[in-house]
Amino acid sequence: MTILTGKAEAHRRLQSDKSGMLRKIWSHRADYAYVLPAIVVMLIVIAYPVYYTIELSFFNTPPGLQLRDKIFTGLDNYTAILKSPVFWKVTSNTLIWTLASTLIAFVLGFACALALHRDFAGRGILRAILIIPWVISAVAASYIWKWIYHSDFGIIGAVLVGLGLADRPPNFIDSVSTVLPSLIVVNIWREFPFAMIMMMAGLQTVPDQLLRAAKVDGANAWQRFCHVTFPHLRNVSTVTILLLAVANFNSFIIPWIMTGGGPSNASHIWITHIYELAFGRQRWGVASAYSVLLFMIVMSLGYFYVRALSGNERKDGSV
Amino acid sequence: MSAIAGTASRGQARRRRIDGWRWSGRIFLVFILLYTALPMIWMLITSIKSGFAAMQFPPQWWPDQPTLASYQKLLDPQNSVGQDFLRFFWNSLFVSTATTILSVIVAVPAAYAFSRFTFPGRNFLFFAVLLRNMFPAVIFLVPLFILMRAIGLVNTHGSLILTYLTFGLPLAIWLLKGFYDNIPVQLEQAARIDGATRFQAFVLIVMPLSAPGIIATAIYSFIGAWNEYIYAYTFLSKNEQLTLPVGIQRFFSENTTDFPGLMAASFMMSVPVVVLFLVLQRYFVRALTEGAVKH
Repeated sequence: MTILTGKAEAHRRLQSDKSGMLRKIWSHRADYAYVLPAIVVMLIVIAYPVYYTIELSFFNTPPGLQLRDKIFTGLDNYTAILKSPVFWKVTSNTLIWTLASTLIAFVLGFACALALHRDFAGRGILRAILIIPWVISAVAASYIWKWIYHSDFGIIGAVLVGLGLADRPPNFIDSVSTVLPSLIVVNIWREFPFAMIMMMAGLQTVPDQLLRAAKVDGANAWQRFCHVTFPHLRNVSTVTILLLAVANFNSFIIPWIMTGGGPSNASHIWITHIYELAFGRQRWGVASAYSVLLFMIVMSLGYFYVRALSGNERKDGSV
Repeated sequence: MSAIAGTASRGQARRRRIDGWRWSGRIFLVFILLYTALPMIWMLITSIKSGFAAMQFPPQWWPDQPTLASYQKLLDPQNSVGQDFLRFFWNSLFVSTATTILSVIVAVPAAYAFSRFTFPGRNFLFFAVLLRNMFPAVIFLVPLFILMRAIGLVNTHGSLILTYLTFGLPLAIWLLKGFYDNIPVQLEQAARIDGATRFQAFVLIVMPLSAPGIIATAIYSFIGAWNEYIYAYTFLSKNEQLTLPVGIQRFFSENTTDFPGLMAASFMMSVPVVVLFLVLQRYFVRALTEGAVKH
């Protein structure tokens, strides 16, 4: 099909050398019909909200969203954010949350993929079990772990006391120092299977001949991993890490349900903080300004994502 | 002789080292299996305890008197708890199914166009579609809430279906494009030569071949919609409209000590998606990695 349209296009270009952009678009008008429904839906629900968020971020809005009464305040919302100490607390939480979750989930997932690469009895069942946490709802996961961490009847506390490691069950999610690591454990529990699936698929593309050739040349398992397997997986790894990072940066459910950001902001990350500002304290303008900042950060991550993906495409095209 | 002995011992040494890797792999898998499975097992054990048995220290590792009371309560239409739960379940089912059907209808032609046609702006549009995946829900929450209020969709399932459709579409298009890329163009060309129109070739040749991709996309949309929380939490406030994640949260913020009930509800909420995943996992796994890994 591409060949056919390509030929037709070349023919047309011969006819009139000045075939401009408009003409090209016109000649493909039928193609757009296929994309149109998707684009229209996305314009309504994406372009409009993005525009609206940017607009709101320059206004002081009364509670209850009576938007006729909003007052233009310029960059006040932004300076208020950067001056508030909560902003820095939340930002450092977000960084710890995103980096720790992403890296540990990736390493665990990659290790699982390597360990499951060789066939053995029960491999399929094991893989299916390992993926389940990723499929179930984050709300269910949050409740399961909330119960496990329970400060009076939680199973981890009971085990620690039973082994004599603690006098009484520790307060995992009610204490400022342990709450963030405890939530990260839950998040990794849900996310490492994603890394595992991606890396398993990646491992299948590593050519067997290369591995065997390296073995013949005397490379040990570690050397084969470093010099053959890993270089082949660079693109998949980049995409996986970026997707994980973005998902973690945007996560909401686990901290929201398990702690609601507390105690004293120790587990607030950007998204939960924005949500509380908007729907809890009704400070729509400030929340929008936060969203715009967030948007810019995510877009810069998105730039690398697109670059990694189009790197894939280009390599694919040249082969 | 000595040379042979040398290679033999080197061979042994190598085998021993590889075994070392294999054993560390096995030990690692055991640990990761415990990490994954123990929380879920504890959920199941708690769900068959009575409320009293759950609140004990040290905990009963296996309940003295296992009981299915929590499940009976949740599934009993005579009981007010059961009524709510079944209604939430039905709402989730309705919203997820509608979202799934609509996403497939919209995503199939779009993915096909991105895979086959080379119209100007194709790359730009495709990456714009992909980037949507990266936007946090919160950015859209306030304006969408206002938009839904303006068009009168707040507190309706329509608001959820419309939003789920948009956040599901980019992924759906991406997954499907991966499948279309792998269907040879020659098949369609042959159909065209035999006199089929481009649309006929698409419907009669490409659609049947891409069935696995469509199944995978459908599972994906369904699971995404089934598990979605933040929009449902914001857009819906009437009890009879709630979907499962929000409904369960609201119910148990009022009954904070009913942990067996909460675990039973979490389990029941997970059953449909886990079953769907286990039955169709081949499609699911393949679709997810199709775009990121080039074979």
